[in-house]
Formats: sequence, C-alpha cells, structure tokens
Amino acid sequence: MSAGNTNAMDGPMIECAGLTRRFGKFTAVDDVTFSVGRGEIFGFLGPNGSGKSTVIRMLCALLEPSGGTARVGGFDVAREPERMKPLIGYMSQKFSLYDELTARENLSFYGRLYGFHGAALRRRFDELVALTHLAPYLDRRAALLSGGWRQRLAMACALVHEPAVLFLDEPTAGIDPVARRELWGLLFDFAARGMTLFVTTHYMDEAERCSKVGYIHLSRLIVSGLPDDLKRLPEVNPAGTRRIEVACDHATAGLRVLRGLPGVRSATAFGQSMNLLVDATVTDGAVRASLGAAGIGMVDVRPTGPTLEDVFVALTDRANGGGR
Amino acid sequence: MSVFRGFRAILYKEFLVVLRDPFTLFLMLFPPVLEMVAFGYALETDVRRMRTALLDEDRTVESRRIVERFVNTDTFRIVERVGSAEELAAAVRKGRVYVGIDIPPGFARDLEAGRTARLQVLVDGSNSSVAGSALNTAVALALRESMERLASAAGVRELPFEVRPQILFNPAMRSPNFFVPGVIGVVLQIATTFATAMSLVRERERGTLEQLFVSPLRRWGLLLGKLVPYLLISGVMAFALFAIMSGLFDVPIAGSPWVLALATLLYLFALLVLGLLISTRAQNQMQALQFSMVFVMPSVFFSGFIFPRDTMPVVFRAIGACLPTTYFIETARGVVLRGATLADVAPHLGVLAGMGGILFVLCALRFRWKLG
Repeated sequence: MSAGNTNAMDGPMIECAGLTRRFGKFTAVDDVTFSVGRGEIFGFLGPNGSGKSTVIRMLCALLEPSGGTARVGGFDVAREPERMKPLIGYMSQKFSLYDELTARENLSFYGRLYGFHGAALRRRFDELVALTHLAPYLDRRAALLSGGWRQRLAMACALVHEPAVLFLDEPTAGIDPVARRELWGLLFDFAARGMTLFVTTHYMDEAERCSKVGYIHLSRLIVSGLPDDLKRLPEVNPAGTRRIEVACDHATAGLRVLRGLPGVRSATAFGQSMNLLVDATVTDGAVRASLGAAGIGMVDVRPTGPTLEDVFVALTDRANGGGR
Repeated sequence: MSVFRGFRAILYKEFLVVLRDPFTLFLMLFPPVLEMVAFGYALETDVRRMRTALLDEDRTVESRRIVERFVNTDTFRIVERVGSAEELAAAVRKGRVYVGIDIPPGFARDLEAGRTARLQVLVDGSNSSVAGSALNTAVALALRESMERLASAAGVRELPFEVRPQILFNPAMRSPNFFVPGVIGVVLQIATTFATAMSLVRERERGTLEQLFVSPLRRWGLLLGKLVPYLLISGVMAFALFAIMSGLFDVPIAGSPWVLALATLLYLFALLVLGLLISTRAQNQMQALQFSMVFVMPSVFFSGFIFPRDTMPVVFRAIGACLPTTYFIETARGVVLRGATLADVAPHLGVLAGMGGILFVLCALRFRWKLG
C-alpha cells in the first residue's frame, strides 16, 4: 500500500500511447501520447471540453479507452484495473464527499474502504488530520464545510492509502488564494517524497509550478514536456523576433499605441506592464519614441522570455491553422 | 473476502447515512404504515348500515314491521323520515342518503287482501358497489317475506329448498382479510424499490460513485453493502405491517409466521435488487422515481391485489406473472388466510427466489464498472 508497491521499477509512472476515446462519432480524446516519471508534477491544461477529464477518467479506469494503451504504475488500466487501483488516489472536481456525514466519518469510511481498521485506521487517520489541519472541523458535516475545507477533506480521503499516483481534477477551482497556495505547498511535499502527481488546471501560474506540462486542444495533445523546453520551441520564438516587457505609466493607452507600431506581432497587458513579441528590427528606442509621442512617460523596456501562456497561445494558433 | 472487498466499509457508511437523518428514515417507514391503514380502510367493500330515507305513507303495523326487517339486515340504517315522494327523491339526489324506501298507502290493506303489496326502493346507482348490495338485499328480503307468507298460507312448515354454504376461509367474508395481505405487498414494493434506486443514483449525482469506482471496492461488495441495510430496515417495516394487520385489522395469521417471514424476505430481496437494477439505468433521482413507478403501477393492477387475475385478459395475466408482487400476495393470502404450509407455497417461494437471483445477476452484469 505504500508508494513503492508498483510494477514500474524505473519506468514512467504514467504512460499513454495513442490513447483514444470515442463517444459514438465524437472523438473526445484523439491519439494522446505522453509519460510522467516518478515524483513529477504533471500539469494538464486545456479549455473546457477539450478532453482533460476524459483522459483522467481513462487513467483512473473509470472509462475504457477506445484505442491505444495507458499504464499507471506499470499496470495496464484496461486489463489490470484491479491491480492498478490500489496505487492511485483520485480527487474529483466536485470534491465528492458524503454531505450527511461528518468530516471524521467521511475520512473513516475511505480508510475502511482501503482496508484499514482498528489501530492502523486510527494511526492513519491522525496522520492525515495532522497533514491537512482538519482537526477543528472533524465533527462538522461535510455539507457545512467551506470550499477550502471540503477540498482538504477530499484530499485527505484521496490520500488514505498513500497512493503512488495522485490525480487531481481542477483541485483549486473555486477556492481562496490562501488555500490554493497551501495546497500547492502540500503537492510539492508529496512530489519530494516520490509521489507522482497529475493535476488538471486552468491557471497558468499553476502550470508554471509543474515540473512537466501537457496542453490538450480539441481532443488532441498539442504539446507536452518540461516548461523550459516548451518555452524554447521555435514555434514560440519565431526566427527574427524577440520578446520585450514594457512598463509605463499608462499601460492601457500604451497598448493601443504599440499595437499600431509596425513590426509588433502581439502585445498583451499585464497590469502596469505589457509583453510584446516584436520583430528583431524593432529597437527599444523605437518603442520609447512611439510611446513618448503619445504622451506616455516613465517607459522602461527590458528583454523577457515567453510565458507558458505564450507557448500555449502560439501552439493553439498553429493547430488552428496559422496565426490570426 | 476479496470478491466482496469493501463490503464492510459500505455497510458502515450506509448505516451511518440512514441513521444520520431520522427524518429520511421516518419518511421511509411512516408512509407505508399510513398507506397500509388508509388502503386497509378504504378498500372495505362490505356495504353495511347504508344511510336510508324512509317515506311511510301507510303507517300501519305491517309497514313498520317491513321497515324493521330492512333495518335488521344491517344493510340499511334509517337516518331520515320524509313526508313526500319529492322529498325522498331529493334526499337521494342530494347525496344525503344512498337508499330511499317508499311504502305507499294501502300497503297493509293489499297484504291483508292477498294482493301484491308493493313498496318502492330508490337506490343511488352512482356508486355501483353500494347500489348492487342494496338491490340484492332488498330483492332477497322481498323473496324471503313472500316465501314465508306463501308457506304459512299453504300450511307448509319447511321450505322445499335450502342451500347451506360453508365458507372455508375468512368465514365472515370480511374484505380486510382479503385486501390487507395485498396492501402489504404493494406498500412494501413502493418503499423498497425506491430506497435502493435512490441511494445509488444519489451517489452517481454527487460523484461519490466515481470515487468508489476508483477504490479497490468490488462490485459484489458494493451491491451487498447497499442491500443489507435496506433489507434490515424493510424487514422491520414488514414486521410492523403484519403486526398492524393482526392488531388493527383483526386478521390473524392462520399459517406459520416463519413461512410468512421467509416469503417476505425473498420478496424484499427481489424488490431491493430491482431498485439497484433501476439505478444502473437511471442517471438522476427523477429518472429513478419514474422507473420505479413503471414497476409499481402494474403491481397494483395486475398482481391480483384488487382484481382477481383469473378474470383478466391474457396479456394482463402475463404481465402479472412477471411481477414479484403477484407471488408474494398469493403466498401471503395463502399463509395468512388459508393456513397454507411451506410445501403449499413452495412453488411461489421458488419463483420469488428465482426472480431475486436473476435480477441480482443481471444487476451485477449491468453494473458498469466503468462509467461509460
């Protein structure tokens, strides 16, 4: 029941090859291939309806693949689900809990479900309560817990059996920033102890924290890899261009000005600054001059690299058939 | 053990969920009792002490004697005396009485003179069972009176014919004895099929079913864990219903209570598994409710609960033959009223057990381990 009890000695903990799922004529997941190594945090991104949840469900043996294979912990999810299941924990988007039961009873139920009882159940129970700081809320009904505490309880339930692989489907949707940061703190802890994490999210800042990311768009995995590798992809950094960050005292007005400047391929506002993809021929001086001409001051221009968002935008554009 | 993995965890959780909410438990246990009492009383088809209006235009010893004869049948109860034929008709029309008796002037005189003494009985035909009963009683009363007079006039002391019927079971011909075992069958069906169907569909709606599927829980463990608590609860309910039957409706159990208990257990098992089977189809609680109704309605009409199955068209009889309720009602009536033994009802029990078994296997097969 510990993280070591897998069939994958040194191989990847999650491995999909040509994974496909069709619902009638609709292909929800199309030929998806990727792998995740032990102790990695894999961030799985994509818009709603792109196939994220379908992939997670196939990996958890909730849904049978129509084609291709998926192995988790070295076990084929379609052929050996009974051996694979003890290895995985799953926290669904809804934080599925029994509302009429207290936090204590929910956790205790999942403990029993995974074969704990007596002293072992009590010991594991106490560990999880300490880990998630649930102690003050143990006797409250799950229905009356706030989003953040529901999430912690769901997390504790998913961790009962110390899974080697933990799947989290949008774990931070609708919870406050403090709970969000604390959750990520926990995830890094788990990863450091050798647990493999598979996280779907909409947040780009969360994607930046992952050791590996994949982006799915219209049922197809457009890209997967290490964030730094993705940011160096030629599609993201077209030849003859560079990225600059421009700070000024009037960013919204500045955006309008710079979008009209020849050689500026894209400009995105981030608060008081802008990120620009420009032709290499556009100098910092030219940028300052055009902003100055529009009466915008306190201009600061510095070179910058692409964000993951830039990566996904560039790759989505390409997948949609060229730039916009 | 491993085939039933997770059974004890599910059992623990189901009991907590059920006990946690006394209101739900109350809603599960109380309506059947109420339905039982309501059905039991409402289905009283014995017509007794019908409200009757009397117009006695003769006012003689003979007219009073014949009225007394009417009242003595216990079918009629004089609640109103009126002064004219119009008033009598109005009393029936307005629904104040079911029956009006009109004894015209000269009734005693005709009788004395050996002519046919006529009296009129108005019956409210809008309630057919009441009308039929009033009609039969009135006609039988007239015949009997006539025969007695003819016999004494002819100096005959004994009537030439007599039928001596012996009603073997339920000698008082009380309708509760006939209906209440059936009511128990129908009421149990309503409560149990919903219970398991809802319980699983709720998990599907809430997403906890998905959570269970990810765990190493086996389907037999899940199915049995869901069945056992509800089997216990509905068993207690059935016990209460039979207690009400013999206590409140005065229907004693003629046969062995153990045979009745066995039949009830098999019946409940089949119904609960039917609920589980419904839950494998239904996507939400509304659908579960509708699917359950699909099985409840035929059970009311085609199980022999109200209408005898022998007089039904073949199609309806065939439908009835597929319903567990049919076999349970047959068995319950047999054991409760006729004192049928285990051997007598064994074929019915066999069918109930077979149905439960087949449904359980279907359920396990239908139970999608994956949420496709």
